[in-house]
Amino acid sequence: MIETYELAVIGAGPAGMEAAISASENGVKTVIVDNYPQVGGQYFMQLPKTFQADKNTQTEFKGKKLESQLNSLPVTKIQNTLTWAVFKEDNDQNWLVGLYGKDTPKYIRAQNLILANGAYDTPIAFPGWTLPGVITCGAALILLKSQRIKPGTRALVTGTGPLILSVNAHLIAAGVEVVSVCESNQILPKGFRYAPTMLKHWPRIKEGANYLRTIFRGKTPYKMGWSIKEAIGQDHVEKAVITKVDKSGKPISGTQKTFEVDLVVTGYSLTPNTGLARMIGCALDYQPQKGGWIPVRDHNMESSLPGVFIVGDGAAIGGAENAQLEGKIAGTAVAVKTGHLNANIAENFIQQVKPNLRSQQQFGILYGDLFTPQSGLISLATDQTILCRCEEVTFGEIKQAVLMGARTIGEVKMITRTGMGNCQGRMCEHSVNNAVVEALSSELVTHQSIGHYSVRPPLHPIPESYLAEAHIEVD
Amino acid sequence: MKRIDKTSSLIPQVERGTLIKIFVDGIEIEAYKGETVATALLSAGITTFRLSHKHKKPRGLYCGMGICYECLVTINGIHAQRACITPVEEGMQIETCKELEL
Ligand code: FES
Repeated sequence: MIETYELAVIGAGPAGMEAAISASENGVKTVIVDNYPQVGGQYFMQLPKTFQADKNTQTEFKGKKLESQLNSLPVTKIQNTLTWAVFKEDNDQNWLVGLYGKDTPKYIRAQNLILANGAYDTPIAFPGWTLPGVITCGAALILLKSQRIKPGTRALVTGTGPLILSVNAHLIAAGVEVVSVCESNQILPKGFRYAPTMLKHWPRIKEGANYLRTIFRGKTPYKMGWSIKEAIGQDHVEKAVITKVDKSGKPISGTQKTFEVDLVVTGYSLTPNTGLARMIGCALDYQPQKGGWIPVRDHNMESSLPGVFIVGDGAAIGGAENAQLEGKIAGTAVAVKTGHLNANIAENFIQQVKPNLRSQQQFGILYGDLFTPQSGLISLATDQTILCRCEEVTFGEIKQAVLMGARTIGEVKMITRTGMGNCQGRMCEHSVNNAVVEALSSELVTHQSIGHYSVRPPLHPIPESYLAEAHIEVD
Repeated sequence: MKRIDKTSSLIPQVERGTLIKIFVDGIEIEAYKGETVATALLSAGITTFRLSHKHKKPRGLYCGMGICYECLVTINGIHAQRACITPVEEGMQIETCKELEL
């Protein structure tokens, strides 16, 4: 028997937790599914259950509060579980959600979906980026904050956005030497324009200022308009070469500097994790300042498919507070849809949160304007540089495909196998899109016209035997 | 690659889980309950988790959160497990650099 819910929330980070809480508080029969052993997502990252801390950081404290709120409600929690597919049932208005995990049901059914799948560091390719010792900001923060290990002893941090400052501060706190923090964008003087918006976001600015202070105190050089150019090493990164980049992100020759390091942390802002939205056919739009290909949504966070809501950084990069508000709005909308909440009461609530939401959105605009990875960063890669890590497809091979006539990312995929590996293109879509634009710069082609990868089930590779069994059960 | 012993306001002190033993390519290493396989490997100085299919180049942890599939290892005979999101268990047998077709 497949259990049916009025709402399935996929992802238990700030957005997903708030969505489940709002819906359940209004009486919606809700299930929340999460990939990790503990709720909280990347933002409210928790220590492993078996670790004991005598103190909580402020963020951990907020996350714990949200978790106990969730626990106090009759929400079914399915953790440690991959959502590998969502199907629309033929004769039915329901969504069938395919799950994979130890001791978890193979399927659940839901009338409405809220996707809250978070985001990942936008992967930027450069020579040597596949070497062990080159990791993302997300990886570094998990290792430092939750797993409590030092990912190296001497590090270069490179990317764009506030996350690289946070990584730097945590590395230094852990006793790792940081040789340099490279911010690829020239954020000054443009940043001054945003002073009024920033003042309205004082707590965030304070957090940022604290991280900056670590930079000054630790005397880590923070270089704006710089990026890594190459990671060098045999079986592990041994050296990092950095370069000045122009406004468009292209490296400026003659500016290179080399450091001996055993760790490179890269984070060129974030990309929303839209795999499930793509699989079921939600309309997407290319908005680089919000993270790339993002789902089209209305004011209730509902996608182009009725009953499918998408919230938080998994829909557009906006930060945790914005994600929480969006979660609340979507959860409330589902409560109206399922007849548990009067539309007028919901409208009242929406009006209440509107000012705060607008202020969050302004911050999002500032963030996007200052910290969007420049498309010229593709020129960090040489013809030999691998862009698709899974299938080991190089920039040169992609240029070749374009010469053969490929004009869309789908055509590049057919010719070269990019995006056909285990990661389903998450690691190469950004690079391949920029590579095609770069290769065709003389012709009329845009990021939008190149398109995005489509995603088919299973979203994540899962054992054949499990799939075979799972299919029998559907039939 | 060492476990953090310094404490600060950003990284307050923790008591790790119980000490357990796991085996990596037949060699015994120590790990704490609650750590992931990736953490245990990195702490033991092992950074190459697998070799790439085509060119047999070393690969290791990259995204750290289960989405890039670069950290695949064999765990208790089961191929292609993500080291970054799999918690260690007493006596676990881990093999690195194996053929990893799923
Ligand atoms: S490091 Fe990306 S999946 Fe494990």
